Amino acid sequence: MSAFAAGTGRTSLSVLKATTAAVLLLAAAAPALAADGADATIAIGSLYEPQNLDNTAGAGQGINEAFNGNVYEALFRLNDDGTVSPSLVKDYKVSDDGLTYTFTLQPGVTFHSGDPLTSADVKWSIERVTSADSKSSRKNSLKPIASIETPDDATVVVKLSSRSISLPYNLSYVWVINDAAKDLQTAEDGTGPYALDGWQRGSQLAVKRFDKYWGPKPENGEVVFKYFTEATALNNALLTGAVDVITSVQSPDSLAQFKDNPDFTVAEGKSTTKLILAYNDRVAPFDNVKVRKALARAVDKKKLLEAVWGDYGTLIGSFVPPTDPWYVDLTKVDAYDPESAKELLKEAGYPDGFTFTIDTPNYDPHPLAAQFLQGELAKVGVKVNINVITPNEWYTKIYKAHDFQATLQEHVNHRDIVFYGNPDFYWGYDNPKVAELIKASEEAATVDEQTEKLKEANVQIAEDAASNWLYLYPQIVVSKTSVSGYPVNGLNSQFFAYGIKKAD
Amino acid sequence: MTDDAPALAQPSSLRLTPAFLIGAALVGLHVVVGLMTLVWTPYDPTAMTGGRLAPPSLLHWAGTDRLGRDLFTEIMIGARIALAVGSGAVTIAAAIGVTVGLLAAFASRAVDDVLAATLDILIAFPTLLLAMLIVAASDGASLGTAILAIGVAASAIVARLTRILARRVLAMDYVTAARVSGTSWLGIVRIHVLPNIWPTLVVNFALQFGLAVIAEASLSYLGLGAPPPNASWGRLLQEAQATVYTAPFGAVAPGLALVSLVIGLNLFADGLRDVADPTRRRRG
Repeated sequence: MSAFAAGTGRTSLSVLKATTAAVLLLAAAAPALAADGADATIAIGSLYEPQNLDNTAGAGQGINEAFNGNVYEALFRLNDDGTVSPSLVKDYKVSDDGLTYTFTLQPGVTFHSGDPLTSADVKWSIERVTSADSKSSRKNSLKPIASIETPDDATVVVKLSSRSISLPYNLSYVWVINDAAKDLQTAEDGTGPYALDGWQRGSQLAVKRFDKYWGPKPENGEVVFKYFTEATALNNALLTGAVDVITSVQSPDSLAQFKDNPDFTVAEGKSTTKLILAYNDRVAPFDNVKVRKALARAVDKKKLLEAVWGDYGTLIGSFVPPTDPWYVDLTKVDAYDPESAKELLKEAGYPDGFTFTIDTPNYDPHPLAAQFLQGELAKVGVKVNINVITPNEWYTKIYKAHDFQATLQEHVNHRDIVFYGNPDFYWGYDNPKVAELIKASEEAATVDEQTEKLKEANVQIAEDAASNWLYLYPQIVVSKTSVSGYPVNGLNSQFFAYGIKKAD
Repeated sequence: MTDDAPALAQPSSLRLTPAFLIGAALVGLHVVVGLMTLVWTPYDPTAMTGGRLAPPSLLHWAGTDRLGRDLFTEIMIGARIALAVGSGAVTIAAAIGVTVGLLAAFASRAVDDVLAATLDILIAFPTLLLAMLIVAASDGASLGTAILAIGVAASAIVARLTRILARRVLAMDYVTAARVSGTSWLGIVRIHVLPNIWPTLVVNFALQFGLAVIAEASLSYLGLGAPPPNASWGRLLQEAQATVYTAPFGAVAPGLALVSLVIGLNLFADGLRDVADPTRRRRG
């Protein structure tokens, strides 16, 4: 299984020793600073407070940020560099037909409640995500699982109905929870390096180091996620020292106050968040490939990216970001060319253009992007109406009811090209060839074969201009200079806290 | 009969206090600028004519926004939107509020109690929340829903004021005399009630106008007002929020426009009150 990097150790022993030594020195010199170093409290500022504490109950991306890898662990872990490595799995075997996975669990793992980890907990946890009433957005990807057996306490056997090359990846967001746990919406019982220490709704969520953790000891004693509803307030919190690190900065302009300041570190990572203009490919005129290609060529995306992000961010020619193994540079497929856009519209039977409405979420950068598109498309004779909606309306009107012509949306997930293989997805893109390629890629015997098939699908959706992919967000993390060791890529909104060090 | 009614403000008694003049000038400036945008603006409001977040300059008096659009043009158009929403909302509030208020004043005790309690509940309900409900219930936000929402929310206050003022007039002896002599209730409204209560109502309309302008900015700030690219001051403020450190003028300029109009309206209303309220005039 070459795709899975050997387990990336969280801390090397020497670093741990050095920190301990430093702490001892500090402690001797200034007892008041005893809370720093290995027992430090790290305050993390975020805009994404979870709705509840259960990732199968519509808790939002904030719960992944706070809990993935920190409070709950899975059989596998998605590392910050995009690789997948075993976590609660010590070892695993795949049968020759690829339909049976036998997992051996790590020994000596304890839940925060004190119960030991057994195979029954793993079975229960996986079935919780695949159950009928689970709201997990990832439910579909676990469909190939036919049965789960637990021959002994340390062994889990997963049988599949069809090959699923991404099974370890997909299992990386299935939290392993104690099957005796009762309340998962306001409490937890995971195996992670931190246990929940208190959640004040609307304000903060604290997790404390779990002393019986089976793995390496975290670099800090406690982590507090402080929640803000507004980016300027969040930035001010960092400026005034109320938080140590911001999980993601949402505007380039707020960076000016941190960039040339020696008290702060600005780290630019790779995001998987794409801003897209999604058409409803089921309805005219967007069922016409020529119309979609014309609109792709009519928009100067470079200018839009500069308007929203200044010098940051990346242009993409399809839905796949450069961090996915099946990335191909497709920015040339429908490059900016208003003249040929007009030609294509004429060929498609719209020589005088047409009018359509973009349902626009009411938060930055969507309204700005919508106005930009309005200006650009007017130049090729297409009139855009902007209808501003709330995130809730987006969910019911567009995601559920498919009642729209076009919409703007940011898609945050890693490896989410698979959405184009589902004709029932909100944007209704239906190309049997792509659906077949995506299905076949999942049933591939090797990672190379999977990559090959998804590359082909990627090129095809770009040729079909399935949606209008505007740009890829930058991922910017800002921290106090004294704080280090945080993840910078934020894949799937994760924010592993165990490596964060404070050196005051 | 009208001779018995308290003297009304006559144009000859208009005292032009400095506050009133400043208020009138500020409001007048906004009206002129707002009307001017119907025929001319410095730039096309949606044209990306400058660089990203250019500072104020001779070419762009208030700088540009993130898309390079001229902010001064957008603020000028914002004046038109603010005045349109203000006058529309006040008209609706006046139409509903005065009618309901008069009905309550004339109605039987039981009906009046119900109406008064309903108005109290409506007033206790935050204006902005009520407006948000109306926008949410209608088919998407537009300039029309914003006007309707703010107008309906404000009508409760106008209704209560009308009811109180009208009841005071109705308790007068000359009204009783008119009733006894067989004047219809519409006649009483026309001859006695309206002439006596309108000065106070007009002052209140001027204040409601200012509140409506703020409510519109708040709704647009929340994305519930006139949809883009309508250049509402609230939307300009919202867009400038992300860039307030690098381009503070983007927030300051629409903020100044909003404040100057609302202060103007309030000074104007104060001046009107001095004129309309006989007791104040005598004291003054």
